[in-house]
Amino acid sequence: MEIFILAFFALGYLVLAGADIGVGMALPYLGRSAAERREVIASIAPFFLGNEVWLVATAGVLAGLFPHLESVLLTGNHSVVVVLLLAWVVRDMGLWLRGRMPGARWQAFWDGATVAGSWGLALSWGLLLGNVLLGITGPFAVLPALVVTVLFGTHGLTFAALRLRGELRARAAVLSGGAGEGRTYALTSAALVTVGALAGLRLPLDPGSAGTVLVPVVLTMMPLLVAAQAWVWWTFRHRVTGPSYL
Amino acid sequence: MTSPGKPYAQPLSMDTVDLARLQFAITAGAHFLFVALTLGLATLLAVVQTRATFGNSPVHLRMTRFWGQLYIINYAMGIVTGLVMEFQLGLSWSGLTDYAGDVFGSALAIETLMAFFIESTFLGLWIFGWNKLNRWAHLALIWIVTLTAYASAFWIMVANGFLQNPVGHVLEGGRMRMADFGAMVANPAAQVAFWHVVTAGMVVGGFFMAGVSAYHLRRRTSDQDVFRKSLRIGMGVALPAVFATATSGGLGFQTMQPAKAAAWSRDAEELAAAQAEMVAAHGPGDYLPPAGWVQASGTTMLLLFALMMYFLLPSCLLMLFRPVVREFRLWHWVTTLMIPVPFVAMLAGWAFREFGRQPWTVYGLLTTSDAMSPVSAGQMRFSVVAFFTVFAVLIAVNTWLLARHARRGPGAVSLGDRPIEAPVPAPTF
Repeated sequence: MEIFILAFFALGYLVLAGADIGVGMALPYLGRSAAERREVIASIAPFFLGNEVWLVATAGVLAGLFPHLESVLLTGNHSVVVVLLLAWVVRDMGLWLRGRMPGARWQAFWDGATVAGSWGLALSWGLLLGNVLLGITGPFAVLPALVVTVLFGTHGLTFAALRLRGELRARAAVLSGGAGEGRTYALTSAALVTVGALAGLRLPLDPGSAGTVLVPVVLTMMPLLVAAQAWVWWTFRHRVTGPSYL
Repeated sequence: MTSPGKPYAQPLSMDTVDLARLQFAITAGAHFLFVALTLGLATLLAVVQTRATFGNSPVHLRMTRFWGQLYIINYAMGIVTGLVMEFQLGLSWSGLTDYAGDVFGSALAIETLMAFFIESTFLGLWIFGWNKLNRWAHLALIWIVTLTAYASAFWIMVANGFLQNPVGHVLEGGRMRMADFGAMVANPAAQVAFWHVVTAGMVVGGFFMAGVSAYHLRRRTSDQDVFRKSLRIGMGVALPAVFATATSGGLGFQTMQPAKAAAWSRDAEELAAAQAEMVAAHGPGDYLPPAGWVQASGTTMLLLFALMMYFLLPSCLLMLFRPVVREFRLWHWVTTLMIPVPFVAMLAGWAFREFGRQPWTVYGLLTTSDAMSPVSAGQMRFSVVAFFTVFAVLIAVNTWLLARHARRGPGAVSLGDRPIEAPVPAPTF
């Protein structure tokens, strides 16, 4: 049951946050002007806060149920995790700050932070997953990292195609060809879940001893957490029609 | 793993341990500055929005949007430092997670799921759902966000209280196992500290609201009504909160470890006794906290408490007279200048609590040097410099942004000024 809980949050993160990371990566491609970029960001704005907490929850589940795995994974990949965290922080700040001042240069600067942070995040996920999955370190680790990065980017494009309209939607649909947008999104989601699950199977998944107390608490919480997220998805189920608060 | 209780038995380079401590201090300090304001401001915001919703009051709606925007700028900084915090223990302190993770990791797990997860999900809904959701649902959201912020503080203090005063566990083969979850939650070192932190957060929020309002009253900007009300709310909350903080802090002195108490009172006999007791239990070593830091931070906290109390007592009388609230510019000045004081007091109190626990990570069981991850000095230097640089820049930018938005007043607020996305019948999924 511990493994199910860990997989639920970790894979949930890859699918949900993977989409908004990918949109961040594709921001210069999707949005050619400041106004377009703002509209592209509106496609992920209501979701990114609720998406990234799946990784926070994963860290919490690791700390509570898999403390040994937590230290092996984080200490063993110290520098990659540090870069991942920094990219995450830079990206979030780009999203939060871009709309808080008028000025074109201010917004261009923070859009740059969003793009750089999203690429950094995808690449460090690639390095981390590549290392866990294939045990590759050194210069060749870049290859699996790039594959994962491309996957994040594609996933982001399919999500953007579902959320945007008109010209922006057409740009986002460049890779899906004739296939339906929903079907393409399902495909990239499945690919991310597969990579995540395969990497997970390579980890030493022996839970600690707190499960007797913690597992019932977490299982009770889970429907509530999903319901809270579902409320967000339902509220923002329509295509983006204009800029958001960000 | 080295056996716990034998300090420095297998010494890592002290440089690396110091760097790891510095990194934790930078992250936690940056986090604490912003979450303290989050705790206080969220509560005040929820109260104001309740007035706005129940009374259909346009003034309170303006107040909600103005303080809400400042709250969000502040929250963003709290969340990015918070998520680095969440990973910090596994990154730098794997000795701690390996030894005690099965016990105190539970508090962290519950914090992420019960608090962090719900808080972030619903805050996103509150921000982007403005003018889109039913206003009662929107009001419920800010209350959930506020309550989950408290839940977050609670479970973090349970984790911290466990490090200060480990209870509810048994030792099995060099690792801790949970024996009594209830005892860990009911730990007095956690309970008292939780109330101390929450009431101190109200002091921070109250001073912030009063100080920003006083700025606008002094400058005679528009929206005098908004700022008169806000000034009164801020001060009216800060005064009882200062006394509640002092009361819970006083109780906290009773839960202090003997060595911290001895370092604080600078009593040579007590210090020697605390040292002798530890040597008898754990073998030779230096078991005393850095007395200078303990005293300096404790004294700072108490002096600033006195300053806040002596400022608030007359101020809460002055604010009852409308001409004073409108005209007394010197008082406005001082009120604005007081904004940083509770922040400094908060950091000093935290330093007092944490310096006083040294050289232990889990008091009496695991030393700080044994708690560290086996990472190289180079890795640690890289991460300290990287986090320090990024946080320093972000703290500067966000503080400047907070000040700017605070100065510009409610007229310039973009939060909730129109439907964010006009709904059209084109479902995505």
